[in-house]
Amino acid sequence: MSPNDICTDITNKINTGILIIDNQYNIVFWNRYLEIHANKKTDDVVGHNLFQVFPELPQKWLKRKVESVFQLKSQSFCSWEQRHHLFELPHTRPISTNSHFMAQNCTFLPLERKDGSDNVCILIEDVTDVCHYQTMLNKTLEELAQANRIDGLTQIFNRKHWEECLEKEFSRARRYQHGLALIMFDLDHFKLLNDTYGHLGGDLVLIETARVISSLLRLGDLFGRYGGEEFAIILPNTDIVGALDVAERIRVAISKNVINFQESEIKVTASVGVAVISEDDNRYEDLISNTDLALYDAKASGRNIVCVAKQLVET
Amino acid sequence: MSELNLNEDQQDCLQEIINVAMGQASDQLARFLDTFVYLKVPSIEQVSTLSLIETLSNNENSAAVVSQGFFGYEGIRGEALLVYKPKDSDRLADLLGYEPDELSVEEQIIDLSSILTTTFLNVFAKQIDNQMSYSAPRLLAGSQSAVSDHLAQQSFNWDLALKVKITYQVTDYSFNCDMILFIPELAINNIKAVIDRILEEF
Repeated sequence: MSPNDICTDITNKINTGILIIDNQYNIVFWNRYLEIHANKKTDDVVGHNLFQVFPELPQKWLKRKVESVFQLKSQSFCSWEQRHHLFELPHTRPISTNSHFMAQNCTFLPLERKDGSDNVCILIEDVTDVCHYQTMLNKTLEELAQANRIDGLTQIFNRKHWEECLEKEFSRARRYQHGLALIMFDLDHFKLLNDTYGHLGGDLVLIETARVISSLLRLGDLFGRYGGEEFAIILPNTDIVGALDVAERIRVAISKNVINFQESEIKVTASVGVAVISEDDNRYEDLISNTDLALYDAKASGRNIVCVAKQLVET
Repeated sequence: MSELNLNEDQQDCLQEIINVAMGQASDQLARFLDTFVYLKVPSIEQVSTLSLIETLSNNENSAAVVSQGFFGYEGIRGEALLVYKPKDSDRLADLLGYEPDELSVEEQIIDLSSILTTTFLNVFAKQIDNQMSYSAPRLLAGSQSAVSDHLAQQSFNWDLALKVKITYQVTDYSFNCDMILFIPELAINNIKAVIDRILEEF
C-alpha cells in the first residue's frame, strides 16, 4: 500500500468526522464517518454549499470562526462545553443519555492545497460520553456545594457559610459606606425543653423556629444557625431602627408560635441581641461580639426581650 | 539545577526570536481584528512550581485564565496561559467581530485566547524552523472564581519551568491581557539545543 492509500483507508475508518471546505464554503471532501452519521448522499454534499447541506449551522458565527483560520492560518477549536454541537448528528448512546444530538468537539485546521488554494478541514469528534458524565459530575458538585452551605437539621445556612457571608457583607458595607445590622437570638431555656420533650421535641422546635423566621425575612437577609439553639441574621443596608423592628417581630413571632409535638403544645421564647456596624469595628468578628454582648444582656434582663449593643445606647 | 539556566547568549537569542515573532504576530492580529495590537517586551525567567502558584495567586483580581498546550518537533512543548482582568471582558465580542448574543462570554475569552496563542506561537515556531500543534483551549477559571483555587488543585509534574510573559494591549478597546508561556523542565534542554544551533549558524 502506498502512503496515500493508507491515508485514504484511515480517513474512511476513523471514528472522527472529517469535512473539508474551500474559501467559498463549498464542501470539497467528507469522510465515511460523516456520510454514515449525517445520512446524506455524497452527491448531495460534495460540491455543495456547507450552509445549504447543514442548515442547522450558525452561519454568521461559523463564518467569522473559519475566517480566522483562513486569515491567521492557525487552527481553531469549538468545545461542547460552549456549544453542545455544531452538526445535528445522531449519537450512539440514544438510550443512556438524554441529548438528541451527538455532543461534539470540533477542530478547524488550515490546509494549503498543492494548487495553492486554501481549505479548512473541520474535525468532528463525538464527546457525548464526556458530556454526559461531566454534566452528571457538575450536578453532583453543585449539590455538594449546596449541602456544604446548609445546616442539615434546619435547612438554613450553617455557621461556616453564614460567617463567610458576613465577612463579605462587612467588607462591602465598609467599602460603600452602607449600613449593616446583625441580629442574634437564642431560644430560652432550651436545655429544659430538651429534658422535657426529648431531643426529637427539641429538634422540632429548632426546625419550626427556622421556618417561621425565614418567612419573616427579606430577600437579601442572610439567616444562619450559629450554634445549638442560637441563630443569627445579617441585614445588609439596614440601620438600627430597621433592625430593631425586625428583631421585635422575631421575638413576637417566636413567642406566639405553638409547636405541636406528640399531643403536647410546645411554646418557646427567645432573647434577641441587635447591633449595627460602627466606626470602631475593624473586623466582622467585632460586630458579632457586640451583638453577642447585647444577646447576653437580653438573657440577663429576664429573657424574651430585645437588647441593643451598649455603645449604640450610649451614643 | 543551575545548568537549566539560559546563559546570556541563549537568553539574548531567545529574546530576539520572541521579539521578531511578536512583531509579526501583532501585525497579523491587527489585520484580523482590525485594530492596533501592542505587545509589550516580554520577560523571560526561570520559575519553580511553587513560585508560579504564588505569582498567580497574588493576581487575585484576574477574572479568567485559559490554558492551551502546544507541542512541536524536537521536544519543544509547553503550556500557554492567557490571564484576563474582570473589566476587560466587556467588549471582546465587538473586538472579535461577533454579535454579543451569538456567543457566551466564556466562548469569547476562549476564542480570543486561542487566536492570540496560536498566532504568536505559529510565527515563533517558524523562526526556529518548527511547526506547532495545539490542544484545545480550556477555561480554567470562570468569571468570578479565583485562579489560585484551580492551580492549587493541579498537580504539576515539573519543579522548574521557563516562564515567558507577554502583555497584549488593544488600546482601542482599552483591553489587555497577559500571555504566560510555561516551558517545563524537560523541554528547556530541548529549546536550549535549538537556540545553540541558531547561535552556531550566525
